Amino acid sequence: MFKKVLIANRGEIAIRIIRTLREMNIGSVSVYSQADHSSLHVRLADESVCIGPAMARESYLSIPAIIAAAKITGADAIHPGYGFLSENADFSAACRDNGITFIGPSPKSIQQLGHKAEARKMAVKAGIPVTPGTKDCVYKDAAAQAAKIGYPIMIKAAAGGGGKGIRIVRAAGQLANEMNIAQSESKAAFGNGDVYFEKYIELPRHIEVQFARDSHGNVIAFPERDCSIQRRHQKLVEESPSPAVDKKLRASLEEAAVKLAEAANYVGVGTVEFLLTQTGEFYFMEVNTRLQVEHPVTEYITGFDLVKEQFLAAAGEKLSYTGGHTVPHQGHCIEHRINAEDFTRNFAPSVGRVEEWILPGGPGIRIDTHVYSGYNLPVYYDSMLAKLIVWGPDRASAVARSRRALEDFKVKGIKTTIEAHKLIVESAGFQAGKTDTGFMERLLAPAEPVKA
Amino acid sequence: MDVKKLSKLTKWMETTDLEEITWRSGEDKISLKLNNNPEHTTTISSTLEPVLAPSIGIFRFARPGKTNHLKEGASVKRGQELGVVEVGKDFKSVTAPENGLLKIISIEDGKPVEYGQPMFFLEPK
Repeated sequence: MFKKVLIANRGEIAIRIIRTLREMNIGSVSVYSQADHSSLHVRLADESVCIGPAMARESYLSIPAIIAAAKITGADAIHPGYGFLSENADFSAACRDNGITFIGPSPKSIQQLGHKAEARKMAVKAGIPVTPGTKDCVYKDAAAQAAKIGYPIMIKAAAGGGGKGIRIVRAAGQLANEMNIAQSESKAAFGNGDVYFEKYIELPRHIEVQFARDSHGNVIAFPERDCSIQRRHQKLVEESPSPAVDKKLRASLEEAAVKLAEAANYVGVGTVEFLLTQTGEFYFMEVNTRLQVEHPVTEYITGFDLVKEQFLAAAGEKLSYTGGHTVPHQGHCIEHRINAEDFTRNFAPSVGRVEEWILPGGPGIRIDTHVYSGYNLPVYYDSMLAKLIVWGPDRASAVARSRRALEDFKVKGIKTTIEAHKLIVESAGFQAGKTDTGFMERLLAPAEPVKA
Repeated sequence: MDVKKLSKLTKWMETTDLEEITWRSGEDKISLKLNNNPEHTTTISSTLEPVLAPSIGIFRFARPGKTNHLKEGASVKRGQELGVVEVGKDFKSVTAPENGLLKIISIEDGKPVEYGQPMFFLEPK
């Protein structure tokens, strides 16, 4: 096992990792930018090193600075956390070249699974359903190709991005017209009119499966997380298990994750993201080759420490459980991401000094945070203040605990998303477990007629 | 309340970790709040100018194959290279910000430095 681990990150996740290191009796090194000298991760680690100025590019994203910090402090491994360099194959390779273990998969796995098209190919090879669509651009027989996929379909620009050139076609009669618009839009925006078709999935759920695999071939797939409550593709609430997944579907999802981990010869923890349709079909979306923000919900219902599993896998040891692909789970867990944003002003970022910071506690509450009373929020990094994680023996009691904990959570000096979470928890849709990726849009626009 | 009493009170308050007190005595009432914003309570003034590490890394007085005999008290010119910080395969130059006298050298050859660590103190002239 490692003797000393450097954490190439900041905020709550750096602290989360320090806690596991301490429990495993491994030394910890924090790195920080000049803007973070009063940050909690600097104080909690055994050692701390300033690696650069406030701009992340010159500190938390600087591979030479972080490698130098590891060498100077004698760290034998680096944990990248999430974000920053966590899915950077060059960083993983730089660690390897300097004789430092990267806590995460190999550069090859990061490249294979981090690249969307490559990962999709691998999923197809492993027999995992992917969103149906044309493999290549559509030049002729458009009607036949569209019919084969089944309406509704999406016409997407091959050179696309930013939503340009995307048209949704609900019936065969609209195809020719929409195709013309998509092609001319695409041509105007990208200088290339090539388009392809993909199945349009209406109001899907975002379901993901956490997995862990060691170099001895042991794989665990954990019960799914439901991360459907998002705003502009940013997750706000995550829960596990999903109210939309039954035993049979869970088994299929877990099997798919295990297959993919084995096909990629993946060592470490990772997450497979799926889209789940209203009618219960799931399609592979992408793989995250890092520890995720929402990992605590899985920890809470299964009793695993996923950071510890990362260290075990990276050190070439066996996972802490080698008795099969699935693990028992108990109760229901919900995570609320509390951000420094003003949701009444379209989630505009809020900065300043945290004048008051009173956290909820009591049964079934876990809070991962780096914030304290008197903390000055730096403007340079993401807006997450805390993760409020609640557990209950069943979903209804977890929801009741969320409501209680959000009420107890007192923050002054900055605006937070606590009020937005209260709205979510109070909504009938959330209480009934009826969420999809369009949930927040409907919740925040109550004046508009609610679409089914 | 007279000024004497007030200064006694503020002196006493500074010896505690209280940030704010309210004092009542008969008709008298006074609230005191400590200004403990570090930006305002401490002002360090020095004529010496620090030379900070431009990067985390290993400090060297000279690039590989070269020598450099800097001594405390030496006169240096603005832009003169005082040493380098080795980070990976890169050498980041450490230069004198002003013409002046090198009053303090607070770094040794081959020692690690953090970003922003003071390594020299210069007396501008």
